[in-house]
Amino acid sequence: MPKTYYLFNPGRLSKNNRSLKFTPVDAEGNAKKPTYLPINDINELCVLGSLDANSALYNFLGQQKIPVHFFDYYEHYTGSFMPKDYLLAGKVHIAQTQAYTQPAQRLVIARKLLEGGIYNMLKNLGYYQNRGKEVTVYGSKIKQYYETIRQAQEMPIAELMGLEGNVRQVYYQAFDTIINDFAMQGRSRQPPLNEVNALISFGNSFCYNLCVGQIYHTQLDPTISFLHEPGARRYSLALDIAEVFKPVLVDRLIFALLNKKQIQAKHFDKKLNACYLNESGGKIYLKAWDERLKETIKHRAMNKNVSYRRLVRMECYKLVKHVLGIDEYSPFKMRW
Amino acid sequence: MYVILVYDCGEKRVNKMRKLCRRYLHWIQNSVFEGEISEVKLKELLLEADQFIDKAYDSIIVFKSREQKWLDKQIVGQEKNDLDNFI
Repeated sequence: MPKTYYLFNPGRLSKNNRSLKFTPVDAEGNAKKPTYLPINDINELCVLGSLDANSALYNFLGQQKIPVHFFDYYEHYTGSFMPKDYLLAGKVHIAQTQAYTQPAQRLVIARKLLEGGIYNMLKNLGYYQNRGKEVTVYGSKIKQYYETIRQAQEMPIAELMGLEGNVRQVYYQAFDTIINDFAMQGRSRQPPLNEVNALISFGNSFCYNLCVGQIYHTQLDPTISFLHEPGARRYSLALDIAEVFKPVLVDRLIFALLNKKQIQAKHFDKKLNACYLNESGGKIYLKAWDERLKETIKHRAMNKNVSYRRLVRMECYKLVKHVLGIDEYSPFKMRW
Repeated sequence: MYVILVYDCGEKRVNKMRKLCRRYLHWIQNSVFEGEISEVKLKELLLEADQFIDKAYDSIIVFKSREQKWLDKQIVGQEKNDLDNFI
């Protein structure tokens, strides 16, 4: 499986003999020994440091269908370089648009997506319940919402999103019980006010860009979404799919990293009224994240081992099948 | 599949071989590469090498391992290049 490469060091990336060459630069601007990245082993690039590159490189990456995701100084996702769409399918596009324009159809998908997300959140709570964290109160509250959503046949999307907000609020309250040494004290973003919030923001942005990258490899149009309102300037379908996977991938990882003390107070920078992961913290998180995505689980229907990254792609395929009327969509539900 | 590829080529073809291998694998030391690669990609690599090597003189040896974790790697002295995807 080709890998995701994370570029932390500032430097120059260039095309070299039909492959890539990365020349890191130190603080004084002197070039250091270059490293060569095998082009055939790259799935996507995540750029966290400052990068020098020219259009010849981007032409080449476009040809090789390698997306590049950029993150700013505070490790916020800022955007991607996406190669030209290569899986064009008018039929899917039309079906996807139709599924969006007909409220009844859209609601079916939106509800399923949300259902998947909430189910996975409940699984998380159940997991920690078994490990002696007292989270039943939150669990039962969320279960009520879950049932309302399952039964909602006719409900405006806005109301559905409202319920989603309620669920999240309760869910995030449970974080304070699950996480040992840090307090979360409610969700805060732009900027995150404390360590847990910083981790959630950081994790979510990588989950989002994982979904962007995987949707790119399917026939779906990333701008037409069902649960979230298709807005301008963002791939809202990726937000939809991230909804299902955030509890599975991001939250679980955060709990593990904090409770096993792999990420500690020294891995954060607190400036003014904001809290961000610093470079070493980011590296620890991304290493664990990368490992996580490579991990495989046994897929029951296929009777095959599937990595978490692949699972996201399969979620997209399920959506394609749903809009084409081949198979009804059922969201990914964690079983453990 | 995880492989270690070593080659021994005539001086004129060494550069070609190195450049070719760099597109697929990580360089670890002179004429030795290693990395994760699929069956098909490896075939592609060898086929391309086939175009320019002199079979009467050169040799390419590929050690295959099912996964990286089945490979015990010991380094004595200098590690010339670490193969990390965090750069």
